[in-house]
Amino acid sequence: MTRNFSTIPLILAITLVSLPLMVMYGFLILDTFTDAPPGELWPDRFTLEHWRFLFDTSVVGNVWAATGNSLILALSMMVIVLSLSTTAAYAISRLHLPYRRFFLAGIMVMHAFPAVTLLIGVFFVLNFTGLYNSMIGVILVKGALMLPFGIWIMKGFYDAVPWEIEMAGVQDGASRFTVWRRLILPQVKPGLVALGVFSFLDGWGEYLLPRILAPGSEMTVLSVFLNELIAADQLGYDFNLFKSVGVFYTLPVILLFVIFQNRLMNIFGGGTKG
Amino acid sequence: MMSSFAKPMTDGTARATRRPTRRKARGHVSGLGLLMMAPALIMLLAFFFTPVALTGVFAFTDLSTSTGIGRGTFVITPTDLRQLRDRGLTEDEALAISAATYSVDDAGLAAARAAGADAAFVDQIAERLTGESYEDQRDFERVLRDLPAAPRSPRAIKSAAEAFGQSVLNRRHETRDALAAQLDATAPDLSDAVRDMVLDASYTGAVFTTENFTRLATQPETGRLIANTALYVGATLSVFNVGLGLFLAIVLFYMPKPVTGFFSTVWLLPRITPVVLYTIMWKWFTWEDGFLPILAEQVGLPSFNYMKGSVVTAWMTMISVNGFIGASFGLILFSGALRAIPVQQLWASEVDGATRLQQVRRIILPQMRWPILFVTAYQTLSLLSSYEQIWLTTNGGPGKTTTVWALEAFKTALSNYSGNLEYGMGAAMALILVVVGLALSIIYLMIFKFGELVSRPKIEF
Repeated sequence: MTRNFSTIPLILAITLVSLPLMVMYGFLILDTFTDAPPGELWPDRFTLEHWRFLFDTSVVGNVWAATGNSLILALSMMVIVLSLSTTAAYAISRLHLPYRRFFLAGIMVMHAFPAVTLLIGVFFVLNFTGLYNSMIGVILVKGALMLPFGIWIMKGFYDAVPWEIEMAGVQDGASRFTVWRRLILPQVKPGLVALGVFSFLDGWGEYLLPRILAPGSEMTVLSVFLNELIAADQLGYDFNLFKSVGVFYTLPVILLFVIFQNRLMNIFGGGTKG
Repeated sequence: MMSSFAKPMTDGTARATRRPTRRKARGHVSGLGLLMMAPALIMLLAFFFTPVALTGVFAFTDLSTSTGIGRGTFVITPTDLRQLRDRGLTEDEALAISAATYSVDDAGLAAARAAGADAAFVDQIAERLTGESYEDQRDFERVLRDLPAAPRSPRAIKSAAEAFGQSVLNRRHETRDALAAQLDATAPDLSDAVRDMVLDASYTGAVFTTENFTRLATQPETGRLIANTALYVGATLSVFNVGLGLFLAIVLFYMPKPVTGFFSTVWLLPRITPVVLYTIMWKWFTWEDGFLPILAEQVGLPSFNYMKGSVVTAWMTMISVNGFIGASFGLILFSGALRAIPVQQLWASEVDGATRLQQVRRIILPQMRWPILFVTAYQTLSLLSSYEQIWLTTNGGPGKTTTVWALEAFKTALSNYSGNLEYGMGAAMALILVVVGLALSIIYLMIFKFGELVSRPKIEF
């Protein structure tokens, strides 16, 4: 495009509105390995002591145990979302079901519906089933709340697979199940990867459900762990320590995002043709 | 090669013979399909539909921590009597119910010993008075005083007498009939209507009531909650999600690639940062001794805890915290929509000598109508129901000035420090959100249609 305008004022304008974010994220990284004198903005010395919590459990408690718990939560939720939405989406996309349109509309509404409002009802369900205060309950709830999204995404990927592949398999004498497993699943692999990463990230970042539905659980996840740090400290905040724990907590997210960026954009972009 | 040519031949015949059966097969239900749907359906039933139904049911109860979630018991408390007096219980009836009778039995003797009465005195009571019963405390005390082993002090006599007292008050009964029997024994003169009223009031479990909604409709706080919610959703949406999101998208659309890449990454960060870290960063940014207060102090502006220190700054903080995530969503969506505009239109306008501003106003903005409508609809829904960021930052404060509907519902039912969680009231508030949410999602599905919804990126990242 021709440049019949001046870029500089506009760059200045977007820099200005982005400034809070740039400052916050800039100092997030900077503060984890420096110290600033009280009342000053700029750090004056380099230090690694904010990262001591990795080896020394006396600083903030056992961060590795919390990491393990977060990993369990995120991975099990990923398994639930992946397995249930790949099967259900295939059924909705390709198999003959009674009330198929009704299911579709229902899943669309659930996908759009803000699931947080159900939290009080979910609390009752867990109470009645005895799953309150257990990580299993949190995993099931988190997985279930993500299902409509997962089914919808996977349905989009199945819909894009040509019918001919399936027809060929069926005519060679394979059962519908075999066709799905051997022929169709490999076709939707990009969708599986994207949904898997996406649900892992979602589970990894989750704070509300573990905090509310399993407050007395032995298994503290990293998000709750990190927030308890900041809630527990009544006297002056040691933000540099919190930030170091926070960066440690966020590194896997950034890493996964960088690795899978294009696949994730699949979900954003063309992969979900209805 | 040969086989692949040969195959369609046989396939062709096979297809011809199979077609009728296939059509028949499509006519009946796929068992595999049901099997594949079942696990997902069970999960959705358990954690989507049941919660909705339970929210609906419990919205019409007074369920709370004090009633407990299980079945309640029957107990008349002095508080019950005081409250019943407003509903027509007379002074005499209240006195009759709370009156105590004094009978000497094993339980009373044990209580007297536990209360520290003289052992010889208690033995004498057991010996001479077992089985006796007195209506009036003064009569009983007189009898006690006449015993040879009675202590001198009137206080000791009084406390010994009280140990034998039996009142219907504060005694827990498993069933209504058990309490009714005791009530009849204590206050036989009550009329049936009064008796039933007292028994109803004595139930500690949850009961069905529309009180939650009456309370919501009448209390002045509801109005403020609605006003707060409207201000929060309106300001966040217009300033950030749509306003800033659109501005960034259009400016970045015209920028050279490195600039676009850099700012796109910066604006993606709030979306992928876990919410706890994101709110900690905002705390650092606005808390006393944080970035902005220090900066303000250095340039001589008022410096205090901006997140909680004043109503205006608390609002600004809370809207920005949510707004930066919202703007990020808007930016992703609008950028996608901008790339879909045929670039020939822009070239043509440039040939005709249009300025950038004219291009934006006449070509781009009119084509952004649907994306803007979508962001508005979709984000209204999520802003109405989300409270995680508010909870973790201003927590509705200072006072209740930044409390929105969803946060208040959540706090009423699940997270307050007074100790009494009002599940019923919280469910009633949540039910209103659920109804609004359902209505809005159905409306916006109808506006955007199936295809429209899925052809664009609609993920909250």
